[in-house]
Amino acid sequence: MSETEQTTDPVEVPRHAELVDEQVVAWYFLASLVYFMVSLSGGFLMAFQLIRHNPLDGVELLSPGRWRMVHTNAIAYGFLANAFLGMLHWVVPRLTLHPVLDRRLSRLIFGAWQFVVLSTAAGLLLGEAQALEWGETPVWIDPVAQLGLLLVAINFMAPICKVQGPLYVTLWYFIAAFIWTFLTYAMGNFVPEYFVTGSSAGAVGGLFIHDLVGLFVTPLGWGMMYYFVPILLKKPIWSHGLSLVGFWGLAFFYPLQGIHHFLYTPIPMFLQYGAVLSTIAVELVVTTVVINFFGTLWGDGRKFWDNMPIRWFYTGMVYYFLTCFQCALQVTMTFQQLIHFTDWVVGHAHLVMFGVFSMWLLGVMTYLFPRLLKREWYSRTLSEWHYWLSTGGILFMAGDLILGGLFQGWSWMGLQPWDHSVEISQPFWATRIVAGLAIFGGQLCFIWNLYKTWQLGPAVDSGSTPSAERAVAE
Amino acid sequence: MPHPEDKMPSQRNVMIATAVMGVIILVPSMVGFVNKLVEFSHVIQGDADGAFAMTPIVNYILATLGFLCLLLWATMHGMFYDIEGPKRTMLSREDELDADEPDTVPVWAGGHPKPKQSSGA
Amino acid sequence: MFETKSGIFFIAGLLFFGFAFLSNAVIPVLMYKDLPEKKVEELINPHLRYQFEDLAQRYPEQFKKVYGEPPEGEQEASDWYDAKCAEALRVGHKVYVGEGCWHCHSQFVRPVSNESKRWGPVSTSEEYQNELQRPVLFGTRRVGPDLSREAGRRSSDWHAVHFFRPQDLSEGSPMPRYPWLFDGSADKPNERGLGLITYVQWLGTWLDSYPYYEDYIESPIAELEKELAQSEPETESEGSEGEQ
Repeated sequence: MSETEQTTDPVEVPRHAELVDEQVVAWYFLASLVYFMVSLSGGFLMAFQLIRHNPLDGVELLSPGRWRMVHTNAIAYGFLANAFLGMLHWVVPRLTLHPVLDRRLSRLIFGAWQFVVLSTAAGLLLGEAQALEWGETPVWIDPVAQLGLLLVAINFMAPICKVQGPLYVTLWYFIAAFIWTFLTYAMGNFVPEYFVTGSSAGAVGGLFIHDLVGLFVTPLGWGMMYYFVPILLKKPIWSHGLSLVGFWGLAFFYPLQGIHHFLYTPIPMFLQYGAVLSTIAVELVVTTVVINFFGTLWGDGRKFWDNMPIRWFYTGMVYYFLTCFQCALQVTMTFQQLIHFTDWVVGHAHLVMFGVFSMWLLGVMTYLFPRLLKREWYSRTLSEWHYWLSTGGILFMAGDLILGGLFQGWSWMGLQPWDHSVEISQPFWATRIVAGLAIFGGQLCFIWNLYKTWQLGPAVDSGSTPSAERAVAE
Repeated sequence: MPHPEDKMPSQRNVMIATAVMGVIILVPSMVGFVNKLVEFSHVIQGDADGAFAMTPIVNYILATLGFLCLLLWATMHGMFYDIEGPKRTMLSREDELDADEPDTVPVWAGGHPKPKQSSGA
Repeated sequence: MFETKSGIFFIAGLLFFGFAFLSNAVIPVLMYKDLPEKKVEELINPHLRYQFEDLAQRYPEQFKKVYGEPPEGEQEASDWYDAKCAEALRVGHKVYVGEGCWHCHSQFVRPVSNESKRWGPVSTSEEYQNELQRPVLFGTRRVGPDLSREAGRRSSDWHAVHFFRPQDLSEGSPMPRYPWLFDGSADKPNERGLGLITYVQWLGTWLDSYPYYEDYIESPIAELEKELAQSEPETESEGSEGEQ
């Protein structure tokens, strides 16, 4: 142990301002929030269509079918990718004590990525989609996005490569995420489009949707948690050794599961069994990670209530455990008979994407915006509303859709006329809108709070002066 | 290997909690797993194509064994000697990095106001 | 190794990803590599040609506007119809993908949940080995019915009216309207409309037969006849037969 302290001390810690380009972080966060709201609006269009009360029915550019694709893509590439990039620009330099490769490159990537997102949206709205779930990005944008991902990896790998010796767990996840995202995007967008066809393309497509969650969003999300939870609790993660199990288990088992999205398809059955097996294996791995984090919180339970980001994080973790547990059930052949193609899956997807990763990112933003804007939050009450509306809304929505999915599955299995399954879904779809409105309202509280905070002007807190003075004095 | 500075929950409680969690998760998983294993052995015996189902299983076993060997090798070479080190290094660096930063984050938003120093130096 | 840059980069990043790609993608690709991938032109069969020429008769003006007129001579005309039909299939596929039809309609009959009773034969790998399944359209959600055995269940004008305003034909349907596939009214499908109808009428034509749409309903006609014993037993026709 004493060895650690010896190795720590000689490292000269640079000043925060030399490491982090706060402007870029703020830009990414703001951009991500814009796409977030767009995505939520797109979801509403489809939701209102399903309850047959779409006020904008029959307008080509507002077609719910196209906006459904905008909804999912804006979350993946607009909200999550942007927010994660912002977070990376904060975390990676601070953990490695080296700035990113080039600040101008960061800004270039920021611009390029917004171009990718906006042209994806434009392409989808003009009916240029590619028939790959979550990869509907029109084919002509794929190479640009691919290049962007490469630049992102280079920009962040440069500081990471300068670190000597064993890395902190967050960086393991980030390194892996950079490679995996690049490879996954290439695999999903090019292989089924140009090289293979039919069921084998289905296998690749399944691998793509799965890896996009498992190898892009998940490692960035957990890496982020391993960083922010200890610094907010002011104590180290319960066991750095146990996190090895989580990381390597994820790395090995997660990519093997793609085919579980297409059970009972013409994809060979033995491959389907393999995917099911590794899915169940990864749930055990997930449990070690969740235990590690609750071990960290142990003794500080009070902070769950007092510290809003911690509350966001741990709520997300509870939801994460729930989704993973649900996943271990739904991935079995027995469950699949009933729930495949139903709203159960939709509920599951919302719980993962909003209930876990979006909530973590919102927690990070709650912590970082005061630092980026150099002023305190305008209102804690609004923040509380943000949290409770989001948490309640997503629980309500996921529960509602999962339950609705069961009824749909039974209706189909019971060979009821098709209309029956649509009729019985109506109350569930109506409830989903209410839950969606709650979530939307929560985000409005956040944005209003952010706007008012921004209006406050920089804090005239004495805290801001010493740093400048000290810099001069030294 | 708990560090004296860590504010750790008592080891006993942690062990109990871990054991309870383990049982809650492992028991249903094992029931499901054994169930599937039996089903699987029926598939292999009954279906000519079923033998194909061996492929992923053999894959997993081989890869897992390889990984285990790697793990042993790494342990022998002292790679896990200071496995808990980086988590403390990380925290202490965070403190150093934030030493000069203004306290604009409210406590409820995760801020840690620094004790008032003799400002101005 | 387990916590160093190179270990993570090479083992977790490249090796594990490659291993997964090998076992989850390359194996099925190799297993199916002997199934030839059909071009769109090879997909045209008599059932589809029948439906396509039916469009030419139902919507002569629109058809002429989009595709022109067939040349003289029986063989030339036949080749011309084949070529235009392939063109329509491509356009229809693009519309089907671009409008996100595949997010609410699957193309994949599973061997479970009584699906073969409802839709017909369980899907096989061969069915997906063609250019129009690139990327494959298994689908992800079934708000509306599966469409992989849809051809011939309904007439083309049923589809036209249904795309124009679904609620006119299926009451309570949550399907959106698609007026932009038409030049103003349901009897004037434009290029995209004609293409989409052709595409939908193609889905399943490679099979010899499959059950009537929702054949399992316990003969509502008999019940109606009982009720309407006195008056004329007029029942609405449920589209044309599965396959001619």
